[in-house]
Amino acid sequence: MSTSRRTFLQWTATLGGALGLGALPEIAFGESAGKAPRAKPGQPAPVPRAPRSLSILILGGTGFTGPEQVEYAIARGHRVTLFNRNKTRPDFFKGKVEQLLGDLNDDVSALKGQKFDVVIDNPTTLPAWVRNAAQHLRGNTKHYIFISTISVYPDNSHPGADETDGTTPMPPDLDPYTLVRENAGKFYGALKTFSEQEVARQYPGISTIIRPGLIVGPLDRSDRFTYWPARIARGGEVMAPGTPDDPTQFIDSRDLAEWTIRMAEAREFGTYNAVSPPMPMAAMLYGIKAVTTAGAQFTWVSADFLASQQVRGWRHMPAWVAPRGGSAGFLSRSSSRAIGKGLTFRPLAVTAKETLDWHKTRPAAEQKSLDEGAIAGISAAREAEVLAAWKARSP
Amino acid sequence: MLTQARHSLNLLILGGTGFTGPEQVEYALARGHRVTLFNRNKTRPDFFKGRVEQLIGDLNDDVSALKGRKFDVVIDNPTTLPAWVRNAAQYLAGNIGHYIFVSTQDVYLDDSRVWADERDALKPLPAGLDPYAVAPDAARRNYGPLKAFSEREVETHYRGVNTIIRPGLIVGPLDRSDRFTYWPVRIERGGEVLAPGSPADPAQIIDARDMAEWTIRLAENRELGTFNAMGPKGLFTMAELLYGIKAITTAPATFTWVSADFLREQKISQWRNMPVWFSPEGGRAGISAKSNDRAISKGLTFRTLAVTARETLAWHHSRPEGEQQALAGGALAGISAGREAEVLAAWKARTR
Repeated sequence: MSTSRRTFLQWTATLGGALGLGALPEIAFGESAGKAPRAKPGQPAPVPRAPRSLSILILGGTGFTGPEQVEYAIARGHRVTLFNRNKTRPDFFKGKVEQLLGDLNDDVSALKGQKFDVVIDNPTTLPAWVRNAAQHLRGNTKHYIFISTISVYPDNSHPGADETDGTTPMPPDLDPYTLVRENAGKFYGALKTFSEQEVARQYPGISTIIRPGLIVGPLDRSDRFTYWPARIARGGEVMAPGTPDDPTQFIDSRDLAEWTIRMAEAREFGTYNAVSPPMPMAAMLYGIKAVTTAGAQFTWVSADFLASQQVRGWRHMPAWVAPRGGSAGFLSRSSSRAIGKGLTFRPLAVTAKETLDWHKTRPAAEQKSLDEGAIAGISAAREAEVLAAWKARSP
Repeated sequence: MLTQARHSLNLLILGGTGFTGPEQVEYALARGHRVTLFNRNKTRPDFFKGRVEQLIGDLNDDVSALKGRKFDVVIDNPTTLPAWVRNAAQYLAGNIGHYIFVSTQDVYLDDSRVWADERDALKPLPAGLDPYAVAPDAARRNYGPLKAFSEREVETHYRGVNTIIRPGLIVGPLDRSDRFTYWPVRIERGGEVLAPGSPADPAQIIDARDMAEWTIRLAENRELGTFNAMGPKGLFTMAELLYGIKAITTAPATFTWVSADFLREQKISQWRNMPVWFSPEGGRAGISAKSNDRAISKGLTFRTLAVTARETLAWHHSRPEGEQQALAGGALAGISAGREAEVLAAWKARTR
């Protein structure tokens, strides 16, 4: 077997599985035509071991991005401890990790006397949680990685804004250490911002703040990206929002999780936006179409018309916001800094295909919920109504 | 594993060692058919040795190896001249159950209508051209008319038992023409990519595997008649093609769409320099928007673009260095990086 052929097979085996190439047909390639061994489909590329094994504490770890962190960290040869309520997915990694039971909002005594190389804080939405855990972790970890959010930025009017952009101040009459859970949603940006500051106070000089944009991929129950692969796979006339050139950006949870672990290994400190470079909506929708076969046709409906129909960006037309006024830069944040520190992105086709495959395995109720646009997106019927109105509009 | 066909057929494949042919052979064998090849044994000598019966001959000359043979189905891949059909028919007419002729969408006279179907008019032979005695030069110039006449020749010899397949641009691994491969390779390289015309300009392609597998299924089902064969399902645009390919790559690539007029000024020709693309202007709105409804209704299916693009790219990386360099230089199709950069610079510097 020639080197080039071997390379080809490896390449196809690694990348092919992800694209659902299935069993590679025994097709003639070069002189070994027809006698070629089948490439093993779906075999993921082996993850190389890290040079040094770390003791990693993951707060949470059983939601959406957390499990990807755990899997990747274990594959890299790290020792993983989870601290959580063991409620979201009980005993999810039983036998593969050490499990500490507790609640950041309440009893954190299980952390007492423990020492770690790195802590990754996924769940914190209230500054009090950081403070609470720090009672035991401060001085007992060499690195604290806090998963914040791109929602810390109150001003979304400037495309290309980087990490130096202003963050959200605390409302004057809100106690930053509130334990009222509703506040976490109501003052999300302000409380995540204050949580970042709490991290910096508790772990000065050894903290990393990661501010992801829209996190997408398998396991995402928010439907905020999944709507599009599911809708496009159904075929027919698809309502596409705004113009083909409107920007969008997102990040595959695996890319985010794997990079987070590599940041731990490299002991990279500082603050980072974590999201893909902006791409046109056309790149996203046509890229998703490329993993489907139903022949979807796109009709682009203007932002003004969508507004007049009460079809809202983000909620009804996921991964999109009309790029104007105060939202001109909402989906055009810079992630150059993270890319400079090794953030990489799976091909969109891989994210789209695997999200679609995962969606088809979800419980019927969750699939129905997406079809109805219960959480994100809109129902087929409402889409058809708006498309009909768009075509009937007076010019 | 592929399921076996219900009845094993005795298949004769004319040619069979080029681009689509090998895919027909592999699929037919996997489906449990017996395959005989008739060719010069020159393109890829002994390519399927031990797996098929090999008959040696030349459609342009000695076809005596076909004498006395009987087949359930004949698939004619190589014919570009009506005389080849006539020549083989000396022995095959009356001895076969089904003749499948792989024609081309180039037979159509008029490309003005979007979603035109198989009933559209065909190119006539130029006056004075003897279809059975064509010089090589004239054969190249009259590809479409001679394929159209070859279709008629098939009907003459195999009346009521023939299938005519008219593919559009056939793409995928093994394609040495670079007429699609240019795009995955170019986009994978990243940077500013010269994109032709308008994002909404139509595009159609068909993966050689989709085409070959469907051809075998037509044989199994004895589907007769004439079929366009291009994909994907529904109208498709250059933007969908290029962004779809981009979705399998990771290098940052951006597209700069340069108008058809400007490309003409710069002597960047459609198809040759900007593969897959034909400008839909000037009464050619339907050139890359032929109806494939009939073929789909008879079981033509399509791999996803992501699969076609990924596997084409993977195959390209396994090609001999010389072929990869030819593509990089735009020797057969596409343009070189240097020329692309020149045109992009000129486009930006143009006076409005």
